Amino acid sequence: MEPRARRARAFQARPVTIALAVLALPLVVAGLSVDAHYRRTRAERAQPVTDAVAVRLPSPDMALFGGARWLRAPTLEEPGAAFADGPGAVDPDPAGGLVAPPKAIWAQVRGAR
Amino acid sequence: MKVMPLLGYALRGLARRKAKATVLILGLASGVALLAAVLFMTDALRAQADRLRLAMPEIVVQKLVAGRPSTLPRAFTSKIEPIPAVRAVRPRVWGYLFLPALQGNVTVVGVPAGVRPLEQVQGTLGQGRDLVPGAHEMVAGATLAQALGLLEGDTLGLPSLGGTAVPLTFVGAFSSSVDLYTADVVLCDEADARVLLGMGPDEATDFAVDLTNPAESSVIARTIAEGTPGLRVLEREPMARIHSLTYGRRSGLFFVGAIPAILALLLLMSDRASGLSREERREVSVLKAIGWSTEEVLYTKVFEAALTGCIATALGLFVAYGWVFWLGAIGLRSTLAGWSSVYPDLALVPAVDPAQLLAIAGAVLLPYVGLCVVPSWRAAAADPVAVMRGE
Repeated sequence: MEPRARRARAFQARPVTIALAVLALPLVVAGLSVDAHYRRTRAERAQPVTDAVAVRLPSPDMALFGGARWLRAPTLEEPGAAFADGPGAVDPDPAGGLVAPPKAIWAQVRGAR
Repeated sequence: MKVMPLLGYALRGLARRKAKATVLILGLASGVALLAAVLFMTDALRAQADRLRLAMPEIVVQKLVAGRPSTLPRAFTSKIEPIPAVRAVRPRVWGYLFLPALQGNVTVVGVPAGVRPLEQVQGTLGQGRDLVPGAHEMVAGATLAQALGLLEGDTLGLPSLGGTAVPLTFVGAFSSSVDLYTADVVLCDEADARVLLGMGPDEATDFAVDLTNPAESSVIARTIAEGTPGLRVLEREPMARIHSLTYGRRSGLFFVGAIPAILALLLLMSDRASGLSREERREVSVLKAIGWSTEEVLYTKVFEAALTGCIATALGLFVAYGWVFWLGAIGLRSTLAGWSSVYPDLALVPAVDPAQLLAIAGAVLLPYVGLCVVPSWRAAAADPVAVMRGE
């Protein structure tokens, strides 16, 4: 008997193996959903802490920068400001880049002024 | 038709062609992991920004000079306060300060007198206490305090215009649970912040406007903008869109960069679509010759593809989730979340739900299995004798 055929014969597709293979995806989806739900619940419990700190912060932005050093709070600084740092770099922020942001949003912003 | 025996045979078929099955599963899983990780992270970042946005003022008013935000006189509050539906106008003092020691900016925020002490909500501070106004004290983000090696009671001389700032005593650090927002923040008394940022006593960085009825924010924003030309008025809702655009665009750019990986995924799929191998066709003809029906052969091949796809998708989703939420998205976070010299503890909260996970799985599995049906059906319908003869 050829070695490959011997190996194939050695592999027994028991009902448990079949069930595991079929249920791998549903099990992973269920497991990840449960973990995500648990983490969200924990974050919701900590929301009063976030709210108490938020009133002291200038913007809802994370302590991370976008394309430029000054771009710490894009919600407050980005609209209308010039992109100065990294000329020629791909601008991942709404003021520039390969594709313009949806015009409807800026029409609303203009309307609010 | 007995499903279990056919599934068992399909599994044994995969075991016989272990190398090919492994390559297919790993290739498909890599593609799924990359795409899912970007989606998971983008959604988590949007949700994270949303979590703080609701606590923000309805309207923020800034002054523009030469197209850039500038300080504005506190006296401007008198132009906004009389507007009906305006509950309060709060001049805010904040800005950035370059720290040569870190080669990066920190965000200095002045705390006005009379605000609620941080200790009132348990868990806001990871160590120490809130600052006392007028005592030249500071509260810093946990990451910043760690980067500067600050211990409670240490004094820190921050650079200021003319070197006139009094050194601040470090009295507390924010909790690590809010590090994503506070990693580079220095909270100090408003007077200290003015000196550090070089602002006069009558200047403010911007105004936070609280409304009695938030639904009227767009009307109030228009009234403020029309009443005082040169001001930029930002509403809370468009702020959310800015985050959505930022992260959406970054993930889009990442997907553009990931085109080779996506092409590799398509190549794998087309390999399945282009037909079965000579060995597989021969196996099908043997099965037909010993009495298997065309339907049984077809189901076996579809089950093989479905099992491969299911295992690969499950593996890909698991890896993506673990990568982003358990390992902190190593290699992905600076591309999608942004960069900083004081990088926060990026403990993102998952925004994924079963529907999204199933949608990703369906988007991969259905075309993959679908592409396998036609060549499998052709092989199953072929004359077994002709196939065995190699015709």
